[in-house]
Amino acid sequence: MNKLIINNLSKTYPNGVKALNNVSIEIENGMFGLLGPNGAGKSSLMRTLATLQEADSGVATLNDIDIFNQPEELRKVLGYLPQEFGVYPRITAEQLLDHMAILKGITNSKERKQLVNYLLDKVNLYEKRKKNVKSFSGGMKQRVGIAQALIGNPKLIIVDEPTAGLDPGERNRFYNLLAEVGKEVIVILSTHIVDDVHELCTKMAIMDAGRIVYQGTPQNAIDELDGKVFQRFVTREELEIFANNYAIISNKMVGGQPFIHVLSETNPENGFELVKPNLEDVFFSKINKSNVLV
Amino acid sequence: MFKNFFLAELKYALKEPMVYIFLGLITLLTFGATSSGIAFFDSVGNAYKNAPHTITVYTTFFTLLGLLIATAFYNNAALKDHHNNFNEILFSAPISKSGYFFGRFFGALVLATIPMLGIFLGVILGTILAPAFGWVDPERYGNFYLETFINNYFLFILPNMFFAGTIIFAIAIKWKNTVISFVGSLVIIIGYIVSGSLISDIDSETIAALTDTFGIRAYALDAKYYTPIEKNTLSPSFSGLQILNRLIWIITGIIILTISYFSFSFREKSTKIKVPKEDKKEAKGTFTLPKLNPIYYWKTELIQFKSFFLINFLSIVKSASFKILFLFSAIILMSNLFGGAKYFGLQSYPVTYKVIDTITIAAEIFVIIILIFFSGNLIWRDRESKINEVIDASPHTSLISLSAKSLSLVSVTVLLHAFFIICGIFYQLVNGFYRIELDIYMLDFFYTSLMTYIVWSGILIMIQVLLNNKYIGYFVSILVVFLWRYLLSFFDVQSNMLSLGDRPGMIYSDMNAFGPSLTGVMWFNLYWILFSFICLLIAGALWNRGAISSLKERIQIAKKQIPKNYRLIVLGTVFCWVAVAGFVFYNTQVMNKYKTGGELEQLAANYENKYKKYEDAEYPKISDVKYFIDIFPYKRDVLVKATMTLVNESESIIDSIHYSIDSRWEPEIKIPNSELVLDDKDLEYRIYKLSKPMNPGDTINIEINTQYLSKGFENGMGNTRIINNGTFLNESRILPSLGYQPRNELSDKNTRKKYGLKPKDGMPVLESTCSKNCMKNDLTNGTADFINMEATVSTSGDQIAIAPGSLLKKWEENGRNYYHYKVDHPSQHFYSFMSAKYEVKTRKWKGIDIEVYYDKKHPQNVNMMLDAMERSLDYYTKNFGPYLHKQCRIIEFPRYSNFAQAFPGTMPYSEGVGFILNLEDEEENNLVDAIIAHEMAHQWWAHQVAGAAMQGSTMLSESFAEYSSLMTMKSIVKTPMKMREFLKYNHDRYLSGRSNDSDQELPLYKVENKMHIHYGKGSVILYALQDYIGEEKVNTAMRNFLEEFKYRKPPYPTSLDFMKHLEPQIPDSLKYLVNDWFKEITLYDNRLLKASYKKLENGRCQITFNIEAKKLLANSMGNETPMLLNDWIDVGAFADSGEERLMFVKRVKIDRPEMTFNFEIDSIPAKLAIDPYHLLIDRVYEDNIKTVIEIMPNNN
Repeated sequence: MNKLIINNLSKTYPNGVKALNNVSIEIENGMFGLLGPNGAGKSSLMRTLATLQEADSGVATLNDIDIFNQPEELRKVLGYLPQEFGVYPRITAEQLLDHMAILKGITNSKERKQLVNYLLDKVNLYEKRKKNVKSFSGGMKQRVGIAQALIGNPKLIIVDEPTAGLDPGERNRFYNLLAEVGKEVIVILSTHIVDDVHELCTKMAIMDAGRIVYQGTPQNAIDELDGKVFQRFVTREELEIFANNYAIISNKMVGGQPFIHVLSETNPENGFELVKPNLEDVFFSKINKSNVLV
Repeated sequence: MFKNFFLAELKYALKEPMVYIFLGLITLLTFGATSSGIAFFDSVGNAYKNAPHTITVYTTFFTLLGLLIATAFYNNAALKDHHNNFNEILFSAPISKSGYFFGRFFGALVLATIPMLGIFLGVILGTILAPAFGWVDPERYGNFYLETFINNYFLFILPNMFFAGTIIFAIAIKWKNTVISFVGSLVIIIGYIVSGSLISDIDSETIAALTDTFGIRAYALDAKYYTPIEKNTLSPSFSGLQILNRLIWIITGIIILTISYFSFSFREKSTKIKVPKEDKKEAKGTFTLPKLNPIYYWKTELIQFKSFFLINFLSIVKSASFKILFLFSAIILMSNLFGGAKYFGLQSYPVTYKVIDTITIAAEIFVIIILIFFSGNLIWRDRESKINEVIDASPHTSLISLSAKSLSLVSVTVLLHAFFIICGIFYQLVNGFYRIELDIYMLDFFYTSLMTYIVWSGILIMIQVLLNNKYIGYFVSILVVFLWRYLLSFFDVQSNMLSLGDRPGMIYSDMNAFGPSLTGVMWFNLYWILFSFICLLIAGALWNRGAISSLKERIQIAKKQIPKNYRLIVLGTVFCWVAVAGFVFYNTQVMNKYKTGGELEQLAANYENKYKKYEDAEYPKISDVKYFIDIFPYKRDVLVKATMTLVNESESIIDSIHYSIDSRWEPEIKIPNSELVLDDKDLEYRIYKLSKPMNPGDTINIEINTQYLSKGFENGMGNTRIINNGTFLNESRILPSLGYQPRNELSDKNTRKKYGLKPKDGMPVLESTCSKNCMKNDLTNGTADFINMEATVSTSGDQIAIAPGSLLKKWEENGRNYYHYKVDHPSQHFYSFMSAKYEVKTRKWKGIDIEVYYDKKHPQNVNMMLDAMERSLDYYTKNFGPYLHKQCRIIEFPRYSNFAQAFPGTMPYSEGVGFILNLEDEEENNLVDAIIAHEMAHQWWAHQVAGAAMQGSTMLSESFAEYSSLMTMKSIVKTPMKMREFLKYNHDRYLSGRSNDSDQELPLYKVENKMHIHYGKGSVILYALQDYIGEEKVNTAMRNFLEEFKYRKPPYPTSLDFMKHLEPQIPDSLKYLVNDWFKEITLYDNRLLKASYKKLENGRCQITFNIEAKKLLANSMGNETPMLLNDWIDVGAFADSGEERLMFVKRVKIDRPEMTFNFEIDSIPAKLAIDPYHLLIDRVYEDNIKTVIEIMPNNN
């Protein structure tokens, strides 16, 4: 059982932005979802864990590896797919993965070849292995990125918004792959797509403005809201009034008409009906404490 | 719309720091150049440090450097939207194409010229501050002229930035790739270099001037013969070649811009849609995840290194920019090989070392540029490809990836260099030269270029890593590469241990291979390689992994994270480096201590201050010298014993003998009954007091022992006179000099001023009645008259040793060869002693042995040399007088210097100037003949008669020798027009020499040892004179002069003595020539305004010359006053446009500035000319010749 312990991690950028504010999490084997709006500090956290960025204070350990003082050790057991994954020009998918495998210590060339073929097949690129990666579509590139993150025997896999640009089929395939791997290692998946977390993760955390605003299992989070979320259609004109009177979690358009969810200990009546909360409600309720219309 | 984009472009850039950084840098650079004592480019001699000419030279130079700046602005203007992915938004908005295109372009143009204004700022600041702080003497600065700035801006800065901009902007808009834009700017620079390779011979100067996109060479050609006054007052003008060049390139620029505009469209470049190839369906079996065993040990690192290396190396080699650069470097090399390196219109045999020289010149600077470019490229590649986070988060040490990058850089250069060598071999084979020395190609590459590339790879990678910004990295790299050395010389540092990547100079010679500096070169290489490795280690420790962080942060991270074994490697390398540094330091700074330029200047100044008072003291003269010289070529040691008689030839009593010594030779001087009363070891001056003073006529016999023992290796090339094969010594090196030596004084007047010395006295003034100065001859400066000499020289068993005179005896002893020589006739005290493995070829000419001693690799020209000696002996004995030695030798020495020199009957001749020139094509000017004829002539002019040591003396030696040489050439040329080719080089030598001379100009008969006057002007004038008054008349004057003075005891003759013999030979009608040509500085400004012909009814043809003629009297500063014309000048008609056949020539009297002449001749000419033989000194000769136009008879 692997264990990643993050303790009181803080990072302030020179321009004053607090990217990480006293973040503490414990993560064990399995898929761990990291939810948060854009700019919440997800990528900062992931980069910090991937040894690409220093924290101002705090400690992070994977098993007995002190990430900040033994980055080399961590890198040996790390699989990382950053938010923006580019490729070298003039190099084929096969060459690129081979190079990455070498970097990850696979010195036996036969093993390497087998591994690269296996991964290319897994991400459905085997037939394109001799093609220039630069010419791949965004989704194909992303699949190469996924393949490289799985190289070696990583104990910690960090994937930052991995499904951006993938079509639904590719996305499912990818998640199956992750789930398969994730049984025995820690997989941290950062995303702003709530459903992904719901479907995949056993544990999750929600980040906002550099803080962890929730951590636990998705189901617990949903259970907490059970019986507290109500919904109704409103007119455009009423929206403002409702916003002032109720704790609106979210509003969206359904069939061209605003449809709102509100959080309330008791049934607010007034045309509201109780609804079974979902993870999206959790997400918005955690990050939208000030009831701003979003 | 235009205005919006234009102003937006300016506003945007003016808020960014880039424009100010560049402006500041250029200001700083010119300020440094203006306010330092060092001469940059042309700001030497009499030109002010802020002279219009100097400012113009700076401007033209900086526009070349400014190209990189321009690239940055234009590229930014063209690609800003594209890079920010804003283009699709912007281009779909309703904006006008022309407004966008031209607004951006001209915005960038204005921006690109702003940093260039730093040149003016720098010069102005320097002019104000440097004299105020006392850094430089105020006299070194003159007035500013507003037009200098305005004209420079509109002639060079604006057009150059415009033209370069059109290309870069077009490229940027078309390819949307920064790299290709920079390649574009390199291409422009390469175009400039290629056009420059045309200039090596003066025939193609005009083409070179017009094809130069920057106008630098057009200006250089216009200013070529500028006198100091002109340099200080004339600004570049909108005229002549200059304006033509500017127009050509502005129009070219407009065309490029127009094409670019019409091919530009807002629509996205549609990427070619390739028909997708059917992927081969393979039976792909099932894949299983193998059991993986990631391991990390040294072998892993090796494999990682290999993989990194391949990825980086292939990425460079496959990239378009590399292919373009590769192609262009090949073009440059080829154009240099095939077009370059001519000397008097002659090309050398392509011996391997010559080809290597060309490769080094063409390639090294180019490769350094490639290194700078790709070092930035490789360092930033991961980040630009956005793969950096993945790579950075993988378990490899940064050092591995960086050293792989650095090795791939070096490999690229090796690849390039290998290709250059193949080009070189190809060139040799094409020229039918089959002695290809592959080993020398390889060794030279290994010893020098490869090491340079390795060292710079490390340094440049460190610069990029430390600065953490690609473009700042580029700029700093360029500064470090090109300006570091200037900085060192500014602080008077000469040690190669501080000059990045430098090593002692090394010259390969067929005779002496890599020569004396090889050991030093190897040690310096080791020193720098270790240094480069330290740079890599530093870069490895501070490599920015992950998020961009400041240097300070990275140092903190490094402190925390660097593992112990890394620290050990760093310590170990630093330790090795320090140890090597210590050894190199011990050899170059302790064992072979040298003096820097500044120290030498100080010593020379002290020497002068302290001992000049002895300059006029009387010393005895040397006679009857016997040398015993042992040369040990392989140990590079020489032992000398010399006995001689000193005679008091003066009329006063001499009570002490002074010596200026060279302590490196450890002289031991044994003067009987004397006491060493002063031994100044710093200034190397000794005084021996005689216990019994010498009365006039007294003699004493003395003995001098000296030795030169080589040890260790040196900072510089080392002694290139005492070497394994080709030792070449002369008496002034091996013996201490009698008395105070004015030749040791500082000569440049500005340097002298720095040390508080008055301008150096010129030579003693020419005097008509003889005084004490006539007792010294110019060649030996009064040390001796014509004396007897014997020499016993020994050398190793496989070499021949040669001294002047007849070989009396030769024997072997202890495995060494001994030779005993004696001169047959009293000679000048001026001897060479040489030793090498020689082949010998001899002939007899009327009882005289003529011999050539040459290296076995150079037999090609030996017969021709023997012919040339015979021809010279023929002409000179017939026209001047008998030859009094029994032998006549030419002896090859290695090409450490390129000259030939005449000792009594013995002429050492460098392998570089004669032995490898290709003379197979007899149509070409035979330079070897000319040089041999010149040195042979010295056997009369210098060795039989030498002038008194005063003004005009070198006219009697060098001008006469050069004239004699021209006359032997004249006896063999096929057409008289061929002589014009020879004269052209002499004209050029004079005119460019006088333009660059820092002293005031004197007329020929008062020449003070100035080469451009005694070789260039002297030979032109004597040659012209024989054309005007007849060959026999001039030779008679010379013969009579020789007859009166040859081998005579003092007093020695002066140029006035020669004039006495010359004047009777000149007819009254031409008497003005003596004054104009010998006694004044006279220039002609002749031109043909119109050349026409008319067919006559008798079938003949009438030619008409419309002539404008001016005769100008120049004063010593170059100020010219027009003089009244009453001169005879030739007019002529050429049958062909190649000017080879002169069908008609007539000497006419010209007494008005504008005149017209008509002549009737047989057939239609191609061109008419005034002064068709180019006898007169005319700064612009081209306008003397014009193609004829026909005048229709019915027009009259």
